[in-house]
This record gives sequence, C-alpha cells and structure tokens, in this order.
Amino acid sequence: MLVDLGPIVTGFLLIAVSTCVGVYPIKKLITIQEAKHELKHGSPGFLRSFSGILIIALWFMATWFFATIIGDWYNTDDLAGAISRSRHRLEILLRILAAFGRD
Amino acid sequence: MIENPPIAQSDLRCATCAGQCAFTPTTGQLTCHSCGACHDIKIDRSTDPTIEHRYDPALPHTEQPETTPEHPYGCETCGGEVIFAGHSMSENCPYCDGALVERLRDESYPTLGMIPFAIASDTAQENVQNWVAKRWAAPSDLSSHASRSRVAGIYVPFWTFDSHEAVDYTIRYDIRRGKRTISKTHTGFMNHYFDDLLMPASDHITPLIRDGILHDFNPRDLRPFNPAYLAGFAAERHHLSVRQGLKNNAPDKALLLRNRIKSHSGKSNITNISYKTDTTGIKYRRILLPVWIMHYEYAGKPMKIVTCGLHGRTYGERPFSIPKLLALAVLAATAVSIFGFLWGAGGLY
Repeated sequence: MLVDLGPIVTGFLLIAVSTCVGVYPIKKLITIQEAKHELKHGSPGFLRSFSGILIIALWFMATWFFATIIGDWYNTDDLAGAISRSRHRLEILLRILAAFGRD
Repeated sequence: MIENPPIAQSDLRCATCAGQCAFTPTTGQLTCHSCGACHDIKIDRSTDPTIEHRYDPALPHTEQPETTPEHPYGCETCGGEVIFAGHSMSENCPYCDGALVERLRDESYPTLGMIPFAIASDTAQENVQNWVAKRWAAPSDLSSHASRSRVAGIYVPFWTFDSHEAVDYTIRYDIRRGKRTISKTHTGFMNHYFDDLLMPASDHITPLIRDGILHDFNPRDLRPFNPAYLAGFAAERHHLSVRQGLKNNAPDKALLLRNRIKSHSGKSNITNISYKTDTTGIKYRRILLPVWIMHYEYAGKPMKIVTCGLHGRTYGERPFSIPKLLALAVLAATAVSIFGFLWGAGGLY
C-alpha cells in the first residue's frame, strides 16, 4: 500500500519550523525555571521573570494544534475536513490563551 | 546626621609589627599580612545602625552630601566610583575590570550601617563556579571562561525603605455566564506596610541580581560604619539623594502593590488594575552590603556573577548556547508534535 507522504512531510516541516521558533520559548522556559529556584519568591525580580510565560504557552499550543490537523489528515486523508474539524480545538485553545494572558 | 569616620591607614596597622592589616570575613577580625596576628575590631556601641530616618517628600530634606577625605577611584569604562581602605588598592574596577583613575574629591552621603563580609573569597569563587556549572543550555566553555576570572569583594550601597500605603483600587475582571464572558468592576481599599525594602543604590547591582542574592536581610545584623571592615576590600559610597532612591524604587513598589491588590481582591481573570496610594511614614537607611563580583566576557559581551558576602547565594548574567537551545527545542517540538499527531489521528476533539 502506498502511503500518502503529504502529512509525513508536513509533520517534519512542522517540527523544523517549531524548532526554529522554539529557541526563544525554550530560553524563556530555562530563565523561568532558574528564577523559580534561585530568586526570592514574591520579589519584584521573581514576578517580572514570569512576564513572558505566554510565549511558551503560545508556542506549545500552536505546535500541538497544527500537529492535530496533520494527524487527522493522515488518518482520514481529508485535509479540508481536518481543518474544519480543528475549529473546535482552536476555540478552546484561544480561551486558554486568553485566560493565560489575563493572569 | 552621623558622619562617617575617615579611613586612616594608621588604624589598619598591626599593633604588633606595624604591618598592614586586612579584614578577614571568616573570623570577623583584622589580620596582619606580615606577622599573621589577629586583632578584634572595636564596635562603637554609642551608634545604633538599625535606626531608620524619616523622610517626608512634602518637606525640604536637609541631608546634604559631604566631601570625604578619601580619594575615590573612578572607572573609565563603567563610570563606577569606589574607595579602598588599606593595602588592597587595585588598578582595576571591581565592577567591570576597567582601568581606575584617581579622582580628587568625592561627595557622598554618610553610610548609616553596614554588614561585614562573612564569606571568604575562596568560598565565593567556588559558589560562582558551582553556579556556572549548573546552568542549562550554557556554552560548554563557559566554566573555563569563568574559572579564568577572579571574584572581587566590594561593599555596595543599598537603601532600606519602609512606608505605609493606603491603597484605593479598582479592578476589572471577567466572569463566564454560559457561553458569554462578562466584564465586571470591583473597587476596594487596603492598607499595606512595606518593611525594609532593599534597593540597590548602585547601577552595578540590578534589582534582579538583588533578588537572586539577598533572600534574607535582618537589620539586626547591621553594625555601625567602621573603616576596619573595609580593609582589603573596595567600597562604593552613597551618591544618590533619598528622592532619587525612592524614584528608583517606585517600579518595584508598583509591581508589589499590583500583586498584593490581585490577592486582596480575591478575584480571578483580572484584566485591568488601577489604584491610587497615599504613601506615609517613609523611613530609610543608607547601608553598605558585601558582595563578591566576578566579571567576565563572553563573545565580547561583558557579564557579571555576584555572590552575596553574607550567605553565599549566587546569581548573575549568563550566555546561552544556540546549538544547545536548538537541540532542546527540537526535542520539545518533536514530543509536542507526536502528542498532537496522535491526538488528531485518534479523532479526539
């Protein structure tokens, strides 16, 4: 059986793009982790170090969201349908991000 | 206002052999470099270094800078200005390793109290090396870079600020009603007391480094200013007025107040905070705190790592290795992508 390479190639492309974009969120994640262990809890420096946490959530969710579409596409061989079915997930993700942004 | 006694070289001579003495952090005594004799440091019991001074922004402030007899040394690179006591006169700036030039006079505010070094340079050097070794995604040669540099001991000027805040605040927050999000407003009032907020009075110690190295500050550890504690170390004096200090402290205070308002309101999903505070009862101290600073350069960028001279906590600036960040990013991106792929392939919503 000939496997459709479209979703596989797109999946690798997603990993490549997500890796390039992910350098900054990973750096931010390390900075936050260090702040959590080394800065005085509740101090201004400690509070400021959490200010960019949204970028990590955004990167994580964007990668996950596009991967779900590729997974759906791979399973059903229907890209248009996979995109259409992802709208519900997108709505939930946007709500989570909005809550993150407020906090 | 208290005047700081001048740093007399004769006070730092050994009573046994007239050699030069330096302060030893581990014993808290002056140690002679020639004969090794140890001498206790006499503390002036008549001065209470824990006393706080009142400041009212509405009244004219009488505190004036004084010309000090010690010649300061100015750094040509970073503009830092330090004084030395005893024999440890360095040709390089303890902050940035730049060349030092003697200046003719120094106008500064008297220091009201200080805490002497309790951590020796060897321990500080070890703490810095350990801190560097524990960094994630740091360049592989960072440890060797840091091991080529040495820590320098310096007394850094700090303020402690007290104030009472009467805060009227308004917050906007969202609540969910079925599928709709409704924005609501809540007003409240709270009293908050800031006690001994530490603020660096030097550009060289950033508030972030302060929060990394100074977790515990006990004003009862303060001692009256005594030049003997400076023997063997550099010191930067207070050059900023209280008004400037309060201005520098304002962003920290605002952040802490906003955080306090969040928890005081008891609301979640807060979208906006506005407040008005009536600040009264401002009190301050001008103090010197000991730090060990290691300055190093990585890829042409000057960085510093600081160890607290009291408890040895270490924090600083560090570079990241792009290949290591990329490796971690590829791992994370692959894991998240596989998770998402399986989720989508499983037909989950």
